[in-house]
Amino acid sequence: MASNASADSVREAGVGDPGWLQARREEAWETYNATPMPSTRSEEWRYTDVARMLPLGELTPAFWDCSANGTPSELQEAMERGRAGFAGQVGLVDGSVVAVELDDEAADRGVVLKSLRQAARDGDEGVEALLATEAVPASDGKFPALNAALWSDGVFLRVPRGVVLERPVRLSRWNSQAGTATVTRVLLVAEEASRVSFVDEALSPDLEEGTALAATAVEIFARQGAQVQYVSLQQMGRGGFYLANQRTLAERDSTLDTLNVALGGAVGRVDLNARLLGPGANSDMLGLYFGDDDQHFDFNTSQDHVAPNAHSDLLYKGALDGNARGVFRGIIRVHKGAQGTDAYQTNRNLVLSDRAVATSLPNLEIGADDVRCSHGATVGQLDGEVLFYLMSRGLRREQAERLVVLGFLGEVLSRLPLGDVVQNVTRAIEAKLRHA
Amino acid sequence: MDDFPILAATGLKAKVADEDLHILKGVDLTIGPGEIHAVMGPNGSGKSTLAKLVAGHPGYEATGGSLAFQGEDLLEMEPDERAQAGVFMAFQYPVEIPGVSIANFLRTALQARLENGEELDLFDFQEHLMERMELLDMKPSFAERPVNDGFSGGEKKRNEILQMAVLKPTLAVMDETDSGLDIDALKVVARGVNTLKAENPEMSVLLITHYQRILDHVRPDAVHVMFDGRIVETGGPEVALALEAEGYEEYRAAHAA
Ligand SMILES: Nc1ncnc2c1ncn2[C@@H]1O[C@H](COP(=O)(O)OP(=O)(O)OP(=O)(O)O)[C@@H](O)[C@H]1O
Ligand SMILES: [Mg+2]
Repeated sequence: MASNASADSVREAGVGDPGWLQARREEAWETYNATPMPSTRSEEWRYTDVARMLPLGELTPAFWDCSANGTPSELQEAMERGRAGFAGQVGLVDGSVVAVELDDEAADRGVVLKSLRQAARDGDEGVEALLATEAVPASDGKFPALNAALWSDGVFLRVPRGVVLERPVRLSRWNSQAGTATVTRVLLVAEEASRVSFVDEALSPDLEEGTALAATAVEIFARQGAQVQYVSLQQMGRGGFYLANQRTLAERDSTLDTLNVALGGAVGRVDLNARLLGPGANSDMLGLYFGDDDQHFDFNTSQDHVAPNAHSDLLYKGALDGNARGVFRGIIRVHKGAQGTDAYQTNRNLVLSDRAVATSLPNLEIGADDVRCSHGATVGQLDGEVLFYLMSRGLRREQAERLVVLGFLGEVLSRLPLGDVVQNVTRAIEAKLRHA
Repeated sequence: MDDFPILAATGLKAKVADEDLHILKGVDLTIGPGEIHAVMGPNGSGKSTLAKLVAGHPGYEATGGSLAFQGEDLLEMEPDERAQAGVFMAFQYPVEIPGVSIANFLRTALQARLENGEELDLFDFQEHLMERMELLDMKPSFAERPVNDGFSGGEKKRNEILQMAVLKPTLAVMDETDSGLDIDALKVVARGVNTLKAENPEMSVLLITHYQRILDHVRPDAVHVMFDGRIVETGGPEVALALEAEGYEEYRAAHAA
């Protein structure tokens, strides 16, 4: 797509957009062309040979003709699941928004949930200022540039000052076809002292004959005292390629927590940058991945402590079976003057087969002296003493292994207050363990 | 089946699986239905090795003799098969299983005992578990804690007894379950064993201990002394009393000679 895409495709992608957005796309396209494809020679892409794994040149932009085809039944089912538990929902098929629902009550309180494209056209407050500027601008790299130039649609969610949404908002994405790419964005703005949880589900059928790319840029702003939770659930079918650039900006006294779950797809690469911009800001960053067969998951995280007296705590845990590969690369950066920083980073891996590989690269960069930081990484195998203990109570070996893996990954879920998500993910892990 | 002892070790020899380290050098021990046998012996004499051999720990390998449970060759069975047949070992050093609650673990263990397709009744299970916990003076919240994770020494031992009380074995091997318990906890554990015994008089117990005091609460039918991988003496409760008073000097002297 990208190599044979031209300035024409950028113009096409921007048809109907306001001038500022068209200009932003053109500029991003120039950046895209000027930026080389990441290679394994760069530290950040060492273990994910994206040029080889992602046949960008062969992918065409996905397109879903909603008026002719309606909403795919699988997506309908996904949106139906636990429906009452959500304050709002968006359905996204092959890069196009096909459904937006928002509780009357939330709408009455000024919550905006709509197609991001529509929001740009409607001139919604914050869109022009915040879209691909402060959070995931084109200048961030090859894929952020690709996204800023070619994004087809996405979600805009704005929660006004002081508004508390008790129930989460959910985005369900569906990629329907192999050989196609979707390029989408999420822009979430939680104004002062508001509260919101956002669940971002990526789904697709099993795609045997090739790759379906779901590339997404996620921009999240928590204004002073806001509380935001963002959960990405990557449960694509085989052949799925998930490529996410996420950045969270947490202002003074805000809480901006994230959870990245990777269970599906062939390849998942997530770049997450958490920026702590105001004193008292807090980010809990959770991750959970469970790979089998030839699945490849790569997480590249950074915790940027720009302001003093902020707190961040990262815990990523993964289990790897079959030929799966897990990569975690994380860095805590304490900027100059960020005194009183509290920053933690832990990555733990459980390797379940001889052929599975886990790579863990934690890192620290400290530019202030009064800080509390720690990082730790482990790659371990199932403990024979634990398995014996369980088997000595009558559990078969597979049952014992399942229980240990669930317990290991469950530590991440136990920190998440979203019961519906916890159940959904637990079920998905259990299903995967049974299949193993 | 009734004609067979619950546990019969005959000339049992065992070594560490990957090493040329021989620990059991010919153990003879027979436990009949409903009997309680105590095994005492100095540190390193092979008591835990015997217990682990009964439970099927893969780190040990039998090199001679036989080991049977109700007439069946235990050495041919996997640890889970032994458990399902009615063998239970309370570990001397229980392991921690982060993220797995006691309730979930025990539910899975009971579910594993059912025929394929049969589902454990969760309500019955919960009731059973709560009743067992009450018997052992445990708070209901204990069941939600991850198995042994961050438990005190005494809590770990109580947890072993809780599992035993829920799983109701035919043969309970208790490896120093009384070590590290305060007086009250010791009485609770003894009450647990005695209650189980009252519920099922056929249950046999192999009780490994260093201390005579538990035998005041759980009365043994026989007391054995293990020394350097063998049972060197068998008698009644008086053997334990003598050991308490005199220690293992006599055995050491005999062994050296
Ligand atoms: N896996 C092993 N590797 C090496 N040595 C072992 C192993 N297991 C047991 N041993 C040794 O075998 C001997 C018997 O060990 P065992 O644990 O059976 O003793 P014990 O009688 O239970 O002692 P204690 O009263 O201290 O619990 C000890 O010397 C011990 O160090
Ligand atoms: Mg021992």
